[in-house]
Amino acid sequence: MKINDNCVGCGQCASFCKQGAIEVKGKAKASAACVECGICFFYCPVKAIEVSP
Amino acid sequence: MKAIIIGAGLGGLLSAARLSQAGYQVDVFERLPITGGRFTNLNYKGFQLSSGALHMLPHGPSGPLAQLLKEVKADVRIVRSDKATIRMPLKMSRPDYGKGFKDIYFNDFFTPLSHRDRMKIALLIVSTRKSRPTGSTVNAWVRTQFKDEWLVRFADSFCGWSLSLKSDSVPVEELFEIIENMYRFGGSGIPIGGCKGVIDALEAVIASNGGRIYTKTEVSKILLENGRAAGVVVGDKIYEANLVISNLGHAATACLCSEALSEKTYSSYLKMLENLQPSAGIKICLAADEPLVGHSGVLLTPYAKRVNGINEVTHVDPKLAPPGKHLTISHQYVAPENVKNLEAEIELGLNDLREIFPGKKYEVLLIQSYHDDWPVNRASSGMDPGNETPIPELYVVGDGAKGKGGIEVEGVALGVAATMKKILC
Repeated sequence: MKINDNCVGCGQCASFCKQGAIEVKGKAKASAACVECGICFFYCPVKAIEVSP
Repeated sequence: MKAIIIGAGLGGLLSAARLSQAGYQVDVFERLPITGGRFTNLNYKGFQLSSGALHMLPHGPSGPLAQLLKEVKADVRIVRSDKATIRMPLKMSRPDYGKGFKDIYFNDFFTPLSHRDRMKIALLIVSTRKSRPTGSTVNAWVRTQFKDEWLVRFADSFCGWSLSLKSDSVPVEELFEIIENMYRFGGSGIPIGGCKGVIDALEAVIASNGGRIYTKTEVSKILLENGRAAGVVVGDKIYEANLVISNLGHAATACLCSEALSEKTYSSYLKMLENLQPSAGIKICLAADEPLVGHSGVLLTPYAKRVNGINEVTHVDPKLAPPGKHLTISHQYVAPENVKNLEAEIELGLNDLREIFPGKKYEVLLIQSYHDDWPVNRASSGMDPGNETPIPELYVVGDGAKGKGGIEVEGVALGVAATMKKILC
C-alpha cells in the first residue's frame, strides 16, 4: 500500500489495521507487518491510501 | 417531505434525527464504512480512542448539544466533569514546570495576579457583561487591559484547548459569547460511552423514526431544479429530495454543485470560501495504570511549550479503557506555518508531557494530527459563515458552520438548531 500527500496523520487507518502494521506520527506509515489486505483504504477519511491491486 | 443528508458526522446525524422526528423521510449518505465523522470512537489496543473530539462536551449535561439530544429523545447520559484545573510553575519567575508545579482551580485563575489587576478583573466581570468588547482579538484586548503575561498565557492555553487557535486569532466577541455560554450552561461533561455513545443514540432515534443511513455511499453531485436543491447523485442513481443538508463544510459542498455555482451571482460566496481557514491540532493519547491528571475535568497547561490541555475521561467512564487502565488525552494547537513540521511539533508535545508528568509511568498509545481536509474545525471559531448557502433548500451543518460562541461540538449543535428552526418554522 502507498500513502499519498492527502494524509493528515489522524490515525484512523491504524485503528482498523488488523496486523497493527501502521505507525502514525504526523503521517501514517506501513511497517513490514503490512499484508496488503487493503482494509485501511476504506476507512481513510481523506483518500490518502492507495492499495495496489 | 423528503430530506437528504450528506455525511454522517455529528451535524449530519443531529439534523437527521431532528428532521425524522418532525416527519421528514430522511436518507443519510456516508462515504466511509463508519458513522460519526470526527466524533466517534476508534478501538485501539482495547482503548476507546476517538476519531477527533476528546470524548468531552464543553458545556456538559446542560449545553446546546445536550439540549438538542434531549429534544430528539436520544438516550445518552452526560456526566458533568470535575472542576477544571490549571498547572502553574512553583515559582512564577521560572515560566515552565522544570522546577516543580502546583495546580489551581480554573475559577481561581486571577489569584496569580497583583491586587490591582484582581480588582480590575472584578470590575471587568461586571462591566463586560453589560457592554461587550468588540473589534479586536482576545490577545489584543487582554493586552490593552493588563500588562500581565500570565493572562496572555492563560488565554492562549484556553483558546488552544477549546478552539485549537491562538488568542491572537480569536475575535474578542467570540470569547465573550463563550464566557456568556459558560454562565448559561456551565462547564464540561463526558458522555457515557464516549463520542460513540452520542452517535449510537442518534442512530437509534433516526432508525426508530424510519430514517435510513447508508455507509460506503459517496454522493458525487448535488442536483438543482429551478435554482433550488432537489436531490443528489450516488453512483449512477438519482435521489430526489425537497431538502439537502451537507455535513461536509461549505467548500466541499460547493464542489458538489460547482457547475451551478459557476454563475457570476455566486462569485462573492465562492470568494468568501477561499478565505476560510481550517484549524489544526495534535492529540496525544496516553495509557497509564495510575491516573495522570487525577480528575475528570480539563487540566490546562499554560506553561508547556505546545500542549494546551489534557483530560482523563476514564474517571467518568472506566469502560473507555481496559480494566484498571486510564485513558489520558492531550491536545495542542498547531500554527498554520507549522503544519508542514508536524513531526517536530509532536516531539515538542511529547517533551511537554514528560515535564507535566515527571516520574509518572505511561505509554504513548497513538498520536493523531488534524489539519486541512480533516481538521480540528473546518472553519476557525468566530469565522463560521453560517448554515445557509446561496442555493435555496441547501444547508451546511457541522464544524464548518458552527453557531456563535459554541465551542467545538456545542457550536455544531447551535448551528444545527438554528438550521432546523429555519426549516421547520
